[in-house]
Amino acid sequence: MNRQLAPEINLIDSITFPNVEQLKLDNGVPVYLLNEGVQDVVKIELMFKAGKWFESKNLIADFTNRMLREGTKNYSAKQIADTFDYYGANFNTSSGFETAGASLFSLTKHIDLLLPVFAEIFTESVFPENELNTILSNRTQRLSVDLKKNDFLANRDFLNALFGKNHPYGRVSEFEHFENIFVDDLKAFYKSYYSATNLTILVAGKFSPSLVEQLNKYFGSKNLLRDVPAAPIDYAIESSAERIHHTEKSDSVQSAIIIGNMSINKTHPDFLKLSVLNTVFGGYFGSRLMSNIREEKGYTYGIYSSFASYPHAGFIEIASEVGKDVRDATLKEIQHEINVLRTELIDEEELQVVKNYMSGKILRSIDGPLKFSETLKGLLIYNQDVSYIDQLLKTVREVTSDELLQLAQKYFDYDKMYKVTVG
Amino acid sequence: MIKFEETVLKNGLKIIVHEDTATTMAAVNILYKVGSRDEDIQQTGFAHLFEHFMFEGSKNIPEFDTPLQNAGGENNAFTSTDITNYYDILPANNLETAFWLESDRMLSLAFDEESLNTQKNVVMEEFKEHYINQPYGDVWHKMCALAYKVHPYQWPVIGLNLEHIEQVKMQSAKDFFFKYYRPNNAVLVVGGNVKANEVFALAEKWFGEIPSGEKITRNLPKEPIQNEERILEVKADVPVHSIYKAYKIGTRNSADFYATDLLRDILSNGDSSRLYRQLVKEEKLFSSISAYGTDSIDEGLLLVEGKLSKDISMDVAEKAIEKVLHEMTQEKISDDELEKVKNKIEAYMVFSEVNVLNRVMNLAYFEMLGNAADVNNEAEKYRAVTAEQMQAAAAKVFRKENCNTIRYFSNN
Repeated sequence: MNRQLAPEINLIDSITFPNVEQLKLDNGVPVYLLNEGVQDVVKIELMFKAGKWFESKNLIADFTNRMLREGTKNYSAKQIADTFDYYGANFNTSSGFETAGASLFSLTKHIDLLLPVFAEIFTESVFPENELNTILSNRTQRLSVDLKKNDFLANRDFLNALFGKNHPYGRVSEFEHFENIFVDDLKAFYKSYYSATNLTILVAGKFSPSLVEQLNKYFGSKNLLRDVPAAPIDYAIESSAERIHHTEKSDSVQSAIIIGNMSINKTHPDFLKLSVLNTVFGGYFGSRLMSNIREEKGYTYGIYSSFASYPHAGFIEIASEVGKDVRDATLKEIQHEINVLRTELIDEEELQVVKNYMSGKILRSIDGPLKFSETLKGLLIYNQDVSYIDQLLKTVREVTSDELLQLAQKYFDYDKMYKVTVG
Repeated sequence: MIKFEETVLKNGLKIIVHEDTATTMAAVNILYKVGSRDEDIQQTGFAHLFEHFMFEGSKNIPEFDTPLQNAGGENNAFTSTDITNYYDILPANNLETAFWLESDRMLSLAFDEESLNTQKNVVMEEFKEHYINQPYGDVWHKMCALAYKVHPYQWPVIGLNLEHIEQVKMQSAKDFFFKYYRPNNAVLVVGGNVKANEVFALAEKWFGEIPSGEKITRNLPKEPIQNEERILEVKADVPVHSIYKAYKIGTRNSADFYATDLLRDILSNGDSSRLYRQLVKEEKLFSSISAYGTDSIDEGLLLVEGKLSKDISMDVAEKAIEKVLHEMTQEKISDDELEKVKNKIEAYMVFSEVNVLNRVMNLAYFEMLGNAADVNNEAEKYRAVTAEQMQAAAAKVFRKENCNTIRYFSNN
């Protein structure tokens, strides 16, 4: 047996999607069902267009979401917690730039018992003041700890530099914002944005078809429809004039680095090809940034690049934490890698590895209903469907080094990047 | 219920296969029975550094990651006090690539000087990122040293200090490899869209010729029974006072493991748990609090960790934790609360089986503990715990003289 010879590999040229059933509740709420599980578990995810983009005051979207579990008309925070915990369920809320919502993970056998409580959180939340005060003071403490972390600080400075303080993507939390959050703000935001009009439901796992009737009972009433306020017009992006933002920390042994600039988002026709280019550059463990700066130089535990995509903007971001003494050397290597990317064709062997790696990653992203529902959620935010994944696989298979070189020249420009360093 | 088939190669390598046709992937997990507890006190952090070195090329293959990525796969590894665990996940029809790679690095590494030096740097940066350049980053080092005086759990997996990592020599890597990274000290578990007989054939083909190593016998120093309360006070440039209380608990195979484990869920699993409800929500003494265990094979720790609310004194906060713990020694847990934590465990276990990678990792872990089949008996063992057993476990664990406390003061 010749151990130097790799076994032959099979390429992934097509994918079979798990079945997605799409339907509408009586009031029009779209529901996606991924009922292909092996284990008797179910996840129900509610997604509202209720993210930071829609708030008129900083942190209102975030706190409205966080407070959902803190009391409804018929259940106190304590009763809600007792109910979910007693049946071993997990209730998670999350709030992002565009959407906010919650998911419930439960054993399928308990879901009918949990639904009434879960539903009431979205129809009858009351936002008790005493609970809000507790959460506010806890979050204040947490912020004071986070402000001691270089990576946290670098991320704030970076978003601020890119978008400015008046843009929802660039606005970060300050202590004084916590003092300016009131129950009435949350109630108003909840009323406007947590309505059936604004809702999409994903259900994944293994469940009885009768679950749809239950969903209709709790979320399908026309009474739950409300007028949603007109979407805010696009906020002006006020990027910083200064490209270099350094905060010195004399007691740090490492510096956090984030560099990048505004770019395209998922809706742009170049985005799929660009995601292949980014993978080559810094998007996976075998990437050029990782190979050079971690695996050859040993400057860092990890370095990654990504094209962050949100509905109203996209940007490229290269992030790492490196020894303080090699901070400048790291920036130089990043610049060097960008230059190589802009001037040299990617050789076929390297590109093939990336293509194969990405194809495998696409397969993993739809493997099993719970995983697939996360992937699907990411698409729904952009009104895309699973055909997007097919397009991605097709792009991965067909994109050429020549095309990628052109993209590198168009989207990678070190001079235009903001360089944020803390430490 | 995780079904599996098993066999052992002549060289002692244990092979376990779990078939699952619902996935298109295959997960390959190799667990080596070696961790930071096997290190010399003069060379701590070595097992973890060695884990990094395992990716730096083997006898016949210059580098581990690229061929796996080329087969559409992804991989990673972790080191604990007791084990070092490697896994690959890839499309099932490329399974053999993982066998080729994993078997070659079990056969022999390349032992390249330059790669060792680079990985030393990478690990030193990892050390700085997680343990130096973080608020409260040094607390785990301090706690290990406070709680253990003799046993190797007295140092963290990352190592005592940067110097130990910097000073590692190639000879140590070779000795370590040929002692611990032998087939007789490993468990190979393959799961996913695979056929058991094909996997067994692949295992024989790729791993069959790897020579066996010496039988590993461990003579780890036994930690003496703690019989005095230990307290360490720290002042540092952190914004919030913080407290850590670590209680000694039994070994993984001790009779009261399950009762003790459920105590931690009573304390800190979910918004209805006692510490969160009483001390964060009702008394507002802490801004966050949690309880967790070290999950180690030898005598471990059950920890309570909390960040104090503004203007609350350390003394008040600590007494409040002790009161919650003391109650568990005095009063039996109600049927409802007991049922709750058992339901939580049941759900946790079913959810942990959703992912094929988790299933193969669990099989490897239980095989290492003694018998892979035990993975399917866990739920029942938790179900069987009684309120009396939990009260007895609480009385055994939550004693002042069994406790190691770090009072971490903000000097702001």
